[in-house]
Amino acid sequence: MKKKKKHKSLVMTNKMFWFAVPAFLMYFTFWIFPVFQLFRYSITNFNGINRNYDMVGFKNYITLYKEGTLFHAIPNTIIYAVVLVAVSNIIALALALLLNANIKGKGIYRTAAYLPTLFSAIVIGFIWSYVYMPGNGMIATIMDSLGMDGSKFNILAGFKSALYAIIAVDIWKCIGTTMIIYLAGLQTIDSSLIEAGKIDGCNGWQMIRLIKVPLISATITINVILSVINGLKAYDYVFIMTNGGPGKATNTLMYSVYKLAFTEQLMGKSAALSVVAFILIIAVTICMLIFMNKREVEM
Amino acid sequence: MKRRKILSVLLVTVMTATMLFGCGKKNDTPADTTGNSSGGEGAANTGSTGEAADSSEKVTVTFMLSGTLATEGEDFETEQMPRLVEKKFPNVKVEVTKLPDDQYYTALKTKLATGEAPDFMWVQPRYAGVNAVFPLAEAGYLTDLSDLKAAELVGAGVKDFTYNDKIYAIPCGVTFLGTYYNKNIFDKYGLSVPKSWPEFENVCKVLKDNDVQPIVMGDKDMYVMQFGLYQLAANMIYPENPTYDDQLRDGSVKFTDEGTWDKVLERYGSLYEKGYIQSGSLGLGASQAIQKFIDGECAMTFDGTFNLQAINSSGAADFERGYFPLPGNEEGEQLYTAGAPGAGPAIYSESENIDICKQILEYWFDSESDLYKAYESCGKFVSTNEGAVVEPLYEDFMKLYSEGNSWYWCNQAWPAGTENEMEALFGEMIGGAGTTVPDITKGMQNKLEELLAE
Repeated sequence: MKKKKKHKSLVMTNKMFWFAVPAFLMYFTFWIFPVFQLFRYSITNFNGINRNYDMVGFKNYITLYKEGTLFHAIPNTIIYAVVLVAVSNIIALALALLLNANIKGKGIYRTAAYLPTLFSAIVIGFIWSYVYMPGNGMIATIMDSLGMDGSKFNILAGFKSALYAIIAVDIWKCIGTTMIIYLAGLQTIDSSLIEAGKIDGCNGWQMIRLIKVPLISATITINVILSVINGLKAYDYVFIMTNGGPGKATNTLMYSVYKLAFTEQLMGKSAALSVVAFILIIAVTICMLIFMNKREVEM
Repeated sequence: MKRRKILSVLLVTVMTATMLFGCGKKNDTPADTTGNSSGGEGAANTGSTGEAADSSEKVTVTFMLSGTLATEGEDFETEQMPRLVEKKFPNVKVEVTKLPDDQYYTALKTKLATGEAPDFMWVQPRYAGVNAVFPLAEAGYLTDLSDLKAAELVGAGVKDFTYNDKIYAIPCGVTFLGTYYNKNIFDKYGLSVPKSWPEFENVCKVLKDNDVQPIVMGDKDMYVMQFGLYQLAANMIYPENPTYDDQLRDGSVKFTDEGTWDKVLERYGSLYEKGYIQSGSLGLGASQAIQKFIDGECAMTFDGTFNLQAINSSGAADFERGYFPLPGNEEGEQLYTAGAPGAGPAIYSESENIDICKQILEYWFDSESDLYKAYESCGKFVSTNEGAVVEPLYEDFMKLYSEGNSWYWCNQAWPAGTENEMEALFGEMIGGAGTTVPDITKGMQNKLEELLAE
C-alpha cells in the first residue's frame, strides 16, 4: 500500500509548533481558564469573600429568571444597543462622507471629530454630568439665555429620558472612532469607479447610495458589529452618571452584573448573569455577522 | 536528529515552567512560619511584640482604605499617619493606598481572594457594606484584637466590631447623621432648631412660604437618601423595638409590617411631596447639592459628620453653619440621633507583620500619642475617648449619644444590598414612576430574604 505523502512546509516545520506552546499556555491561563471559572462560580453561592461556598446547581439561573432581574436589565440594554448602533453609525458615516470631500481645513475637522474619543469614560461622564446639571448646568444656562425656562431641564432625573441622555454621551464619545473607520473605507474606493459614475450621470445621492455605500459594506459590517458589542456591554456611563437610577431606569445588563457582585456580594448570581450576558452577546454578534455578510454579498 | 528533538522539547518545557513559576505567588510561606535573617518581615514575625519595633531591619507595613484625600492640609491616612508611625518606629515603613469606595471594595476582594491582602484594612461595623467586619471575620480574614489595650480605650463602639466574642477592629469614635443648616437664614426668619417633627415641618413651611428652598439633596447619588431615612428610623422604629433588626434576620418581623418602615418612608416622602426637598433632586449629585448649600441657595441639607470639611468649604455665600439631629419624634417624645461607630482598621489574619501592626494600633489609639491627636483633629469622626475635645457643632449629638439616645445606621445591621433596593424604589416613588410605599417595603423584604438566603 502506498503511503500518503505528507505535505511538508519548508518554513513551518512540525516542530515549530512547539514554540506556540508558551503562548497557548498564557492564553489558556489568562483567558480560557478564567472563563471556565466564571461558569463554575455561576453554580455556587460564593459571596466574593468567604471561600467556603457550596455548589447550588442552576439555582442562580432560576432565581435570575424568577425574580425578573433579567427582564429588567435586558430591555434597557437592547434599547441602548439599538439607538447607539443606528444613531452613531448614521452620524459617523455622514461625517466621514463630508470629511472625505475636498474641503479646506479637513485635517482640523477630522481632528475635532476624533477628539472626544481621546478622553476616558470617567472624564466624559463627569463633564456631561455638569452639562446636564439642573439649574446651573450648561444646557440649562443656554436655555435661560435663549429665554426658555432652563430650571425645568433635568434630563437625568426623568425615568424616560435618563437612558437616552446617557446614550447621547456614548454616541458623542464613540462617533470619532466609527468615523475614522468609515473614512478609511471610503479612501479605499477606486477613483475610477467614481469617475465612471460621474460619466454615467450619477448625482450626489446616487453616488453615495449606489457606489460608495456598497463598496464600503465590509466597513459597515465592522462598525455595526463593534457598536452592537459596545452597546450590549454598556456600563461605564451608567455607573458614572446615574448609578442605574433614577430608580432602576438605567440599569443595563452589565451594570446589574456589577451591582450583584460588588454591592450585594452575590458573586455566584452575578457570575450566572455574566454567563447569560456572554451567551447573549455572542448570539447577537453571530446573528448580526451572518446577516451583514449576506447583505455584503447582495450589495 | 532524535537528540535535537528531545533537546527542543526539554527547552520548551523549561521555558514554560520558568514562565509559570515566575508568574506565581511571590511568597507562599505561611504566616506562622518563623522568619530568618533574610528580611524584616521575618523579623517581625518572631512572636515577640517588642522585637520588630526594636529591630534595625526594615519592615514594610501595607495599609489599604477607602476615602478621598483631604483637599486642604495634610491627609491623615496617606501623609500624617505614615510619617508619625515611622517617627515612632524608625524601622517601619507604612505604604498606604487610599481608594474611592467602589474601587476599594473591588481591590480588597481581589486581594483577599488571592491571599495578598494588605496588613491593615479599613472595615465597617457589623454587616455594613462589602468591607463589613462580621462577614470578613466569619471568613477568617481578620486577626483577633481582643488583647489590645486600644480596644478598651475607644468606648462602646467596639461592640459593633465584636464577632463571636472576639474584637476584630478598632473603631474610630462615632459618626453622626444630621441636618446642616444655614444659621443666617434661620435667624432672618426667626426660626430655632426644631426638637420634634411638627416643629421641623413648621420650619420647612416658613422657609417655603418665604420663597427659600428649605432642603437640598443630591439624590442622583442615591446613597444620600439614607441620610434622612436613618435619622427618622432612629426615632420611629428602634425606640419601640430595639431588637428590630435582629428580628428581621430571624423572620419574626418584616419590613412590610404596618407602623414600621411604611411610616418612615411616608414621612420622608412627604418632604418631597410638599416641595420641602427641591424638585428634580434625582438629577443632582451629592457634591452638587453640597455646593448649592454652601452657595446659600437653600437652608438645610441632610449629611454626616464625615462631610464636615466639604460643608465648611467657602461658597458664594458667607454664612454660619449649624447642625441638628433630624427630629423624627412627635411632640413631647424623646429625640434620638443616628450615630454609628465609625469604620476602623483591622489586621489581616495572614499578615506577616501582625505583631508590629498591633503595636502600631496601640500607638494609634493611645489618647496621649501624637498619632491619635493628629487623627482626632482630622475632623472625620467624633472621638469617644475619655477627655476628647468635642467640636462645638456636635455637642447636641454627643449629649444624646452619651445618654444612650442614639441608634446605629440601619444598613449596618442589614445584609449589604438591602439599602440599595430601598434607595432605588424610593427614587422611583419620588420620581413619579408610580411606585408606592407598600411596593418599597415589599421590595426591601424580598431583597432581604434573598440576601439572607445566600
